Amino acid sequence: MNILLVEDEPELSTYIVRRLTDSGHRVDYAARGDTGLRLISEGNYDLLIVDRMLPGIDGLSLVKSLRKRQPTLPVLFLSNLGGLDDRVEGLNSGGDDYLAKPFAFAELLARVNALLRRPQHTGQQTSIRAGDLEIDLIRRRVTRAGKDIDLQPREFELLEYLMRRTDQIVTRTMLLEGVWHYHFDPKTNIVETHISRLRSKIGSDMIQTVRGSGYLIRADRAAS
Amino acid sequence: MQIGQLLKSASFRLTTAYVVLFSISAGILASLIYLSTTAELQYQIRTRIQVDSAALATEYDRGGTGQLIQAMADRQRGHLVGGLDYTLYGGKDNLLFGKLPSVPCKAGWSTITGPPDGDEPPGEMEKLAVLITPLARGECLLVGDDIGKVRKFGSIILGSFGWVFLLTVTMAVAGGIFLSSRFLHRIEVINRTAEAIIEGDINRRIPRRGAPDDLDKLASTLNRMLDRTTTLMDSLRHVSNDVAHDLRTPLGRLRNTLETARETSSSPEEYRAVLDRAVFEVDGILETFGAILRIAQIESGSRRGGFQKLSLSELVAEVCETFVPPMEDSGKIFRTDIQPGLFVQGDRELLVQSLVNILENAITHTPPRVCVSVSLRRARQGVELSVSDNGEGVPDTERENIFKRFYRLEQSRTAAGNGLGLSIVAAVAELHDAKIFSSSNNPGLKITMLISDAQDVAA
Repeated sequence: MNILLVEDEPELSTYIVRRLTDSGHRVDYAARGDTGLRLISEGNYDLLIVDRMLPGIDGLSLVKSLRKRQPTLPVLFLSNLGGLDDRVEGLNSGGDDYLAKPFAFAELLARVNALLRRPQHTGQQTSIRAGDLEIDLIRRRVTRAGKDIDLQPREFELLEYLMRRTDQIVTRTMLLEGVWHYHFDPKTNIVETHISRLRSKIGSDMIQTVRGSGYLIRADRAAS
Repeated sequence: MQIGQLLKSASFRLTTAYVVLFSISAGILASLIYLSTTAELQYQIRTRIQVDSAALATEYDRGGTGQLIQAMADRQRGHLVGGLDYTLYGGKDNLLFGKLPSVPCKAGWSTITGPPDGDEPPGEMEKLAVLITPLARGECLLVGDDIGKVRKFGSIILGSFGWVFLLTVTMAVAGGIFLSSRFLHRIEVINRTAEAIIEGDINRRIPRRGAPDDLDKLASTLNRMLDRTTTLMDSLRHVSNDVAHDLRTPLGRLRNTLETARETSSSPEEYRAVLDRAVFEVDGILETFGAILRIAQIESGSRRGGFQKLSLSELVAEVCETFVPPMEDSGKIFRTDIQPGLFVQGDRELLVQSLVNILENAITHTPPRVCVSVSLRRARQGVELSVSDNGEGVPDTERENIFKRFYRLEQSRTAAGNGLGLSIVAAVAELHDAKIFSSSNNPGLKITMLISDAQDVAA
């Protein structure tokens, strides 16, 4: 996948470019907002990672002007501005996700992959299947190997979030933001305890823990 | 006070503008009164002359020249001053009565100038309006009056207007100067206070006069602005102090870890263990840093603009539902008693975080098999949210400190946490004008937040 990184901190850029390249992505890089905007109009990118404070054009304006021409290009904001309103500002300007610096690379990678895979699960889906586990999005029912499983509403949302992103690593923070809408970091292992409840109901083999990253449901886990 | 400054002052300019405006309107009024009064006087004089001439003509018709002369003599005796002038000519230059000069005897109005009698401007002749009436047997009747007195009357009107005008302008200018100098004096006081604050005396405030006028209101507003600024500066200073004191400790620990590793570690496994610890330490530092920044941001009050009416009942229920597994996993008994349909004005995210922090505090600082209860109900002064446990509690002397930054009880020093969780709660409570207090649950700790009902707040 082709990714464009617009970031003015040289060390951080080098680090991100190297790690993303190691993970199998092709990454172009610009240190200025205006350069970034030019590269987007010339190149063919699948994802834009953009810092908020940039020389030339700042990140918010860059994304705003980009949205007029390319409304569907996924955009991930990276920013030192991690305040309460900064995130909302970033998303309102047209960003799809917002990650405050400093961050763990695993977090960035998980979000990059989530954004790159996003179009796959849009549209009118009524059910999702992974192996012998199936969730019915309309009736909000879960079955495994044909047997009904009774889930609490929050457990269903958690499972739905993971099932919509099969074969992708989903981090703890992504779950907190996506399922609980918490944009702060609780000290309690809220996610872990809920995952363990969910596992005990749907079977402990369904949700894999990826050490240091997050959780994963494999689509081809055909009752193996 | 400099005269130049005075002349430049806003209130003096305003006074001047009013004086000019007043002068123009007074001038228009004076000329209108002058013109209409003199016109009316002229008209009255001429009417009197006409009526009298007609009456005298009737006397003549009844009794001839003799009776006419008698009537004119009676009239002149009756009103010596201010009366009309009567003259009768028998023919050309044949003066029978009166003293007006001879004129061609043609019916109608004529103006006759005569020797000055004192009521006209110097160097001008007396002016008379005269009505000439030819009589049946060739006599000529002249009835006239002095027009000069009309002008005299007019000049009296203009004169009094002049005096009133002069007096008004003088008073307006004097009043303007007086008011502006008082106004300027008070501006100067505000200015000096501002200068003193710029110089560094940040606790100086503008003295109030107590009279609720515009300037006093301005002074009060400025003072409140200064108070707010001082609070913000204090909060900023707190942040700097907090960072200085409480981030040094973990940074020092990190440094020691790395230094020890450099000197003693030899195998990759040992290095990896040290690095894991270092990353853990750094994450803790970043978390503390984030919490400090968040407190500062909450205290700045900027989030108040985004307050919305929200269902506190639903919010509390959702958070509690989320906390059922963590509570059970840590061996607590978790009870909730949430009254439905309670609304408040507030910031959803911050209220959620506050409750999460209080619940986490209860989980972290109580032993297993403790009962943690959340209660939300309508109280007399608003909506009351409380979280209580029956653990060991906090000693009475320490209880009011738990909301302070970085405060940690001696016995919980070893537990995870940075001592900022409840400080965030306190800041959020203050942002919502809510009361937050801790009390003993006999045994255990009870934290209560009392927040205004959204029904009480004008939406």
